[in-house]
Amino acid sequence: MATKRIAQSAVNWSAMAEKVSESQRPMFNAFKLKSDQYLRRVMANPEKPPAIDWAYYQARVAVPGLVESFKKQYEALKVPYPVDKVTAQVDAQEKEAEIAIKEFIAQSNRRVAEAEAELKKWSSVLPFGQMTMEDFAEAFPEQAWNAAKPTYWPHDEASQQPPAKVEH
Amino acid sequence: MLSRIALKPVRSAIQPIRLTQTSATTNAASAAVAESPERDLVNFPRPVRQELPGKVRLGFIPEEWFQFFYAKTGVTGPYTFGLGLATYLCSKEIYIMEHEFYTGLSIAIMGIYAVKKLGPAAATFLDKEVAKSDAEMNAGRELVIENCKNRIAAEKVEQDRALAQKMLFDAKRENVALQLEAAYREQLIKVFAETKKRLDYQVEVQNVQRNLEQRHIVDWVLRSVRAAVTPEQEKATLSQCIASIKSLAQQNTARI
Repeated sequence: MATKRIAQSAVNWSAMAEKVSESQRPMFNAFKLKSDQYLRRVMANPEKPPAIDWAYYQARVAVPGLVESFKKQYEALKVPYPVDKVTAQVDAQEKEAEIAIKEFIAQSNRRVAEAEAELKKWSSVLPFGQMTMEDFAEAFPEQAWNAAKPTYWPHDEASQQPPAKVEH
Repeated sequence: MLSRIALKPVRSAIQPIRLTQTSATTNAASAAVAESPERDLVNFPRPVRQELPGKVRLGFIPEEWFQFFYAKTGVTGPYTFGLGLATYLCSKEIYIMEHEFYTGLSIAIMGIYAVKKLGPAAATFLDKEVAKSDAEMNAGRELVIENCKNRIAAEKVEQDRALAQKMLFDAKRENVALQLEAAYREQLIKVFAETKKRLDYQVEVQNVQRNLEQRHIVDWVLRSVRAAVTPEQEKATLSQCIASIKSLAQQNTARI
């Protein structure tokens, strides 16, 4: 037997279940169900067929040479192990997935870096109770009072359109 | 001249304003603020809003004045000085007690009464309002910080999950192997079952043939025996049987 034979499931399902997000839970359950069915199909038959009691048949069957020829043919018959055609596909899928994962992790790291930058910025901002107006202007230059950019009365957001030019 | 700060040595003069902390958290928060490396944080720490008034004696005289006198005159010095000065001012009529003085006294009594009576309630109410407005101001900041932390944690979890896809592919490969193994085993068992079935068939054929042969021989023997028996022989046997029955019956009655 050239290919490695398998007798036991080596997948740690509980560890895998922990990594599955809530939205993918039904898919995961379906996958596990299928895998269990495959395993059950394997377990339905013994690893090796039981031995045939040739001596018993030798004694019982009167046709001369029949049992010998059966025995010879039975022992000569080698059942070929089925050819594996889909593992290559799985490997290809994994390669694709690896690329996607790498991309996702790069993006995710970028997002983490953004969040960390924001976190750092906001942690370094003084509590507003401790701020002076100068601190405020330093922390939020676009919201603080700025002599270069005066606001229009009554200084709320709705009245910040510059007045229309009147033609005389 | 009479301010508290004027009575302090230069360095500690800044302390009452700058070292009065509101709470530990704000202190930590202000410590996190990035400062220029040139700033002298020891002598000029970041000013912190003073929450409580300074210490006083007799309800209105700053503690610092007493400290100033203590070094030169001891504990009773400031009291002696204060009483002496008041006596001097009154006896020399520098301070004249006209009718407004008594008005002032009565107003002071009313004021003290009002402060003692209503002060604590007003203070707690106002403190609550201050805390509320502080919380409102800081709510956005805290929300953003919390949000950032949550986002980072969620991204980490997602990355972990993405990396766990290796397990999925292992499981897929195993499923393929399992299916192959199942097919192989089914074939093996089929070969075994078919062979055994044929052998069993041979055995069964043998058994049936032998049964038939046996039955046939028994039948043949019986038939031959019956054919060989003549009517005389049958009669003789019958009379012999009757005679032996009779003798048996006699023996039995005699015994009874």
